[in-house]
Amino acid sequence: MISFRAASVAVPPALPGDPDPVLLRPATLELAERRIAVVGCNGSGKSTLLRLINGLVRPTSGAVSVDGLDSVRDVRRLRRHVGFLFTDPLSQLVMPVVVEDVELSLKATIRDRHARRAAALAALAAVGLEHLAERSVYDLSGGERQLVALASVLAAGQRVLVADEPTTLLDLRNNALLQRTLFGTLGGQVDQVVYATHDLDFAARADRLLVVDNGTVVYDGAAPAGVQAYRELALGNAGAGSGPR
Amino acid sequence: MRGNAMLLGLRIPGRSPVHRAPLWAKYAVLAAGGTAMVLWRGPWTAAAALGLSLLLYALAGRRVLAAWTGPLRSLWWLFALLAVHQWWLNGPAGALAVVGTMVAGLQLARLLLLTTAQADLVDGLARAARPLRFVGADPEAFALAVGLMLRSIPAVAGAMQDVGDAARARGLGRNPVALAAPVVVSTVAFAHQTGDALAARGILDRDPEAP
Repeated sequence: MISFRAASVAVPPALPGDPDPVLLRPATLELAERRIAVVGCNGSGKSTLLRLINGLVRPTSGAVSVDGLDSVRDVRRLRRHVGFLFTDPLSQLVMPVVVEDVELSLKATIRDRHARRAAALAALAAVGLEHLAERSVYDLSGGERQLVALASVLAAGQRVLVADEPTTLLDLRNNALLQRTLFGTLGGQVDQVVYATHDLDFAARADRLLVVDNGTVVYDGAAPAGVQAYRELALGNAGAGSGPR
Repeated sequence: MRGNAMLLGLRIPGRSPVHRAPLWAKYAVLAAGGTAMVLWRGPWTAAAALGLSLLLYALAGRRVLAAWTGPLRSLWWLFALLAVHQWWLNGPAGALAVVGTMVAGLQLARLLLLTTAQADLVDGLARAARPLRFVGADPEAFALAVGLMLRSIPAVAGAMQDVGDAARARGLGRNPVALAAPVVVSTVAFAHQTGDALAARGILDRDPEAP
């Protein structure tokens, strides 16, 4: 269960005296579904909403917690419970060799080197990538890199996954492979997946969908109707000439 | 952003005696070779060190031996320039001494990188940096920082290539000063993303129970 209790995020204003620019207006949400999609235009506050869940952004007011772990007080334990997948896998792969990168996630929890290697190989096997263990991360295709990054962020046994546009850089085939892995292969390990995306077919597969606009959750409900609401919102805005933000 | 192949060499996995040698032994050979080349500088030492490097590369396997010529292929002009200059100043023996010593030193150092997993290098560095604890530093963080630096070299090289390509696509020149700003901006953005990714994975977090 992911709960937002009147959580909001504001940043200091550019000029003193201006009102604080708000990235996210107070949101109260109880997310218990298995697959939750977040859609919205560029700069709407999707990323801020996702980052709150794993403590990468702290709420300026209110609170966020996942399965009882507060995103500020219990942030370290929270991160062992909630994995975060970014858009660009290269920026989150730290080590040059696949298995070494997965091992890095396990360093804090497994002291013994052999046990750590075995656990890393098991994490790779969970996403079907054990054959790439010894490869350089620079030699992999974009899709393989994203799956390796997925194995790395879930290696420590995380039960909740937050993914910020995980398929944006992938081709159609790798996009399908990632979705299959998220929703099929990892079904046993991961209890909840929260993902932001611009791929509306991907968004439509969610059990619940949030539409974010201008820092506010403007739609919260079933996915197909939500995709329709987002279409009207985005294309309506463009027609009214408010311009890209 | 592109991830580029490393100039100095990515590890070539293998099971040769050189691969399996402990890290300290590899460093000892490197340090001894380097010291000998400085103490007994001359064409004979340079030739012997070059021979030793070839021998060790051969011992490490065929693929490692094939990598011996790597830096010579891309940097040959530098060594050629240096050799001509030294020949003119000090004669052929002097040229062999200087260029041979440089190439041999480079090759011995590369052998260490080619045959050691980066995780082992980083672990070794963390062990070597243990005394830092007495001045309040965290050896694990230090080792991770060095690992991050090594891994960021190809990323920065990729950023430079991207920015250069973008400038050419717009018909702009290759003025290095003009290219520097966007490279720095994209490098800082990459560093931010890396920092977020490290934080999100909780990589340097200690057990919450510990103080």
